[in-house]
Amino acid sequence: MATDLSAPTGPLAAASGMPAGAPGTNQDLFTFWPRHNAAIYQALSDRHTQAEMAGGDGAAGMDPLESSMILNLGPQHPATHGVLRVVCQLDGETIDKCLLDIGYLHRGIEKLAEVKTYLEFLPYTDRTDYLSPYSNNVAWCLAVEKLAGIEVPERAQWLRMIGAELARISSHLLWAGTMVMDAGALSVFLWTFKYREEIHDIFDQVAGQRVMVSHSRFGGLAFDYSPTALAMIRRFCDEFIGQLADWKKLLNRNRIWIDRNVGVGVLSAEEAVRLGCTGPTLRGSGVEYDVRLFEPYLKYDAVDFDIPMRTEGDSLSRYFVRIEEMEQSVRIIQQCLDRLPEGPIRIDNAKASYPSKDEVYYSMEGMIHDFIMTDNGVAPPQGVESYSAIEAPKGELGFFLASDGTGSPWRVKINSPSFANLQALETMMEGAMLADTVILIGSIDPVMGDSDK
Amino acid sequence: MSSSITERIAGKDVLGEADLAQTIDPGQEKQTLKFFFTPREALAGEMERLRNENPHAKATTFLPDLAAALRDRFPDAIGETTLYAGETTIYISLDGLVDVCRYLYDEVGFTYLSDMVSIDRFTETDRFEVAYNLIALKERRRLRLKVRVDEDDPLVPSVTGVWPNAAWHEREAWDMMGIRFSGLTDHRRIYMPEDFEYHPLRKEFPTLGIPGSLPLPPNESDGSLTRDQFPAAHGDLPKD
Repeated sequence: MATDLSAPTGPLAAASGMPAGAPGTNQDLFTFWPRHNAAIYQALSDRHTQAEMAGGDGAAGMDPLESSMILNLGPQHPATHGVLRVVCQLDGETIDKCLLDIGYLHRGIEKLAEVKTYLEFLPYTDRTDYLSPYSNNVAWCLAVEKLAGIEVPERAQWLRMIGAELARISSHLLWAGTMVMDAGALSVFLWTFKYREEIHDIFDQVAGQRVMVSHSRFGGLAFDYSPTALAMIRRFCDEFIGQLADWKKLLNRNRIWIDRNVGVGVLSAEEAVRLGCTGPTLRGSGVEYDVRLFEPYLKYDAVDFDIPMRTEGDSLSRYFVRIEEMEQSVRIIQQCLDRLPEGPIRIDNAKASYPSKDEVYYSMEGMIHDFIMTDNGVAPPQGVESYSAIEAPKGELGFFLASDGTGSPWRVKINSPSFANLQALETMMEGAMLADTVILIGSIDPVMGDSDK
Repeated sequence: MSSSITERIAGKDVLGEADLAQTIDPGQEKQTLKFFFTPREALAGEMERLRNENPHAKATTFLPDLAAALRDRFPDAIGETTLYAGETTIYISLDGLVDVCRYLYDEVGFTYLSDMVSIDRFTETDRFEVAYNLIALKERRRLRLKVRVDEDDPLVPSVTGVWPNAAWHEREAWDMMGIRFSGLTDHRRIYMPEDFEYHPLRKEFPTLGIPGSLPLPPNESDGSLTRDQFPAAHGDLPKD
């Protein structure tokens, strides 16, 4: 990459005829985005692809039919599921090279975490992968609990599992609806959103919030699931499993759907690992990696469930993995409901977690500790660090935490599954048809809030 | 609505089926309020407990012999080893990083790079830390490698030759922390625009941001980009 970026280079700068200003002047202000673009176009032309290496001499400079062009997709495009920008170099309808530009939804929440207490950061995790807030809460709480060595009561662990699996279903429902809509059919979108809506109603009953639940707390949960909520979850599971079978009847043997997906974006198992894919994208390529199996957290080692896998590695196999994961999630939730023990939902230790409201209202010590928890919260030992991951709907969601002994983390690093999968998308796109870009973006299920942090 | 308010006050069921268990705890009046406070002396062994008996420690991070085996093979490259919450961290020297990573990839089976972390320890001698979160899929093990680098020349050898997916993680470390990676081919920023001049996750970067560092959108539809709407308030006067 050219280090001197003061003068814009590349096609856009040449086309716009933008005069280059010296850095720091007002003129320079208006070369801001062109200079960003110039770097992208330079990187695109520097990029060496697998297709190029296989082709031997390469097509550099040889374009007698003028079929080569650079196409920008996004960031403001409904099929990019947010604000993802895709820059493709096309040869006719085939994508020769592809670069992704992310960061349009960068809010710097890792920086914000450093000035928040651990608990204050909890609502921010809702807003990273905003399609499955419950599992993000659970991931954050488990990470802080690991760092501070806080134990979690049995009942809270089972309830967290229910919530996390509901979040998985809810996220996969949105994916299924939008994915089939990307392929050109609208009806599935309407049906999946009906059930997503029911999950939101359940979360409303559970946490008093439909989407941004913020229901977990360190050492347990904010409050218990009401009997009404548990009944709603049971009813949802019974009804949903039949509905899922109907959708599978519609899609699994649907000629248009299969033709649109089969053989698109094929990743072998080795490639998927090499490119750092995670979640259903990795398992669709036949790599047996699921954090629930790899390092079981909560009570996943105590329930009976399968991890759906496919070996084809194409877009269709990722569809099968996600649809079957929803069935398994229902199975997990039903086992959790059957085996849900009685007991406290939050640890009874005012140094590690909020005291119960009974203590806060009727005892002086309780109220003092309530204030201490709000002001300082959990303070893990100085200089320690740990990493804790869960299997979020999109893949491994991990939090690396470093503590300086105060109530705020010294460093938070979010290992976000969308970031990992988007990196692989650049390679998946190369050699694909332009018409498949939308299918490919959909098949890895990215959420820009997650990847951009 | 007027009737429903009175009904609500009267305690009638206007919101569907009544959920009594949620509001009334039958054992509440008999329950004795208990409170556990933690005396100072009980906290004395706390660090030991946390180090060794973490309730969330995982079997995958249990790697008792790896550091010794690595030290036998790379006596100069392997530094100290730390253990917390059952997680092993092995410090590697900058020169030996790629060799150790190549060895771990080829011989030990750490084929999957899950994540990379950059940490700013700005009060310490070697200011930045870069940590690699490695996974051995078949052996079911997770390992953290760490290198330290000085702020005068924050240059770390790139591991993209071993794990190609390190590229985006290294771009992120460059963008957020200002650490450069030798051997990384596409060394652009990843989140911030290319000509942003700062590295926001460094500790000296203010959380509120630096006024004027990004052009702001205009207030009117036909207006132009501006550097800062309120330069005087931010203590940063316009340059022209």
